[in-house]
Amino acid sequence: MNYRILSAMLAMGGLALTAQQAKRPDFSGIWQYSVATAGGGIKQVVGGKALVAVPDQSGRAAAKGGVTGALPSDNAPSYKPELLAKVKEADANQTQADNTFACGKPGVPRLGPPRKIVQSANELLFFYEDMSGDQYRVVPFAAKHREDVDPSFNGDSIARWEGDTLVVEATNFVTDTWFGEYGYIHSDAMKVTERFWKQSENMAYQVIVDDPKMLAKPWVQAARVIRPSDDLLQETPVCVEDDAHRLTNKDHHLQR
Amino acid sequence: MKYTIALCLLAAASLWAHHSVTAVFDTGKQISITGELTEVEWVNPHIFLHMKAKPSTGGEVKAWKIEGGPPAWYRRSNVTKTTFTKRIGQSLTIDGYPAKDASSYQWMLKVTFADGDSMESISAADAAKSK
Repeated sequence: MNYRILSAMLAMGGLALTAQQAKRPDFSGIWQYSVATAGGGIKQVVGGKALVAVPDQSGRAAAKGGVTGALPSDNAPSYKPELLAKVKEADANQTQADNTFACGKPGVPRLGPPRKIVQSANELLFFYEDMSGDQYRVVPFAAKHREDVDPSFNGDSIARWEGDTLVVEATNFVTDTWFGEYGYIHSDAMKVTERFWKQSENMAYQVIVDDPKMLAKPWVQAARVIRPSDDLLQETPVCVEDDAHRLTNKDHHLQR
Repeated sequence: MKYTIALCLLAAASLWAHHSVTAVFDTGKQISITGELTEVEWVNPHIFLHMKAKPSTGGEVKAWKIEGGPPAWYRRSNVTKTTFTKRIGQSLTIDGYPAKDASSYQWMLKVTFADGDSMESISAADAAKSK
């Protein structure tokens, strides 16, 4: 084949791919802080003037009224019967057994949706602000997971498109994290799928946790809607846990 | 005063990020301490203030440690570390819950600075009413 013709065909193919990529939703940008912090807000009186501020935490919870395009969800995971007692015990001892209480990394999916996304044709960069420290994920558009990495808190992630939905699949997790604050333990077989799609200017976000060793079926969490934000990322203050020795009971806490 | 107390209690019911407030503090009581702000620890999962202070009910001046919410919550409520550090060396009053172990440890509900400025936690419902 004539080299010039081949070059032209490759160029046209490249253009066609670029055009296709251009049609994909672009999730690049800064997104609402969606880690639970506290309820309510703060009233300040400054120079005699009252100022009230309440952080928008809508991205933390399931979207009210459902989300178009979301998969049917369940309120809680379905553990295999033989594991129910173990989960219940973990839940009851959360302040002792959950590593995030003592500044441990929450891992995916408790890390929540990214605060900032940089999207290119080949990969996604996710940036997070978490109480345990600032974190990032590099997610290539790839067909296969890496086989040269050790298990980690956030796992090994790859991305693909399903229509206009961005799908990120993560595997290869350490087993000392929970995938939910109510004692949701998991095995090394856990697979977490995160689905991102656009809802007007907002980003819909839905998580599916599968663990064939521990769950009777995959847990589809309720979808959330994450708003775009102009709240620029800042370095997260260091985490120093100093309450464990003061606890007088095992009351539950809110921990992502 | 009753309104303020009710408001603070409502706030406390939903205001935490790490452990239940009741696991450490006696939410059935309130104490007020006044003294000099000596140090600010702007750390996760809770910030801490340090003071040389004494309760409004009397007693000697002691070193007090005061616990608040997480930095991310303050930041998005327009309160920064500087809000406190610029007052180091100044007198302030803190209303809050005493520790169950009766130590010089307190959960912060309201801070009143020497210049009359103040900040207090409020529930989302009360915040909506104030708009």
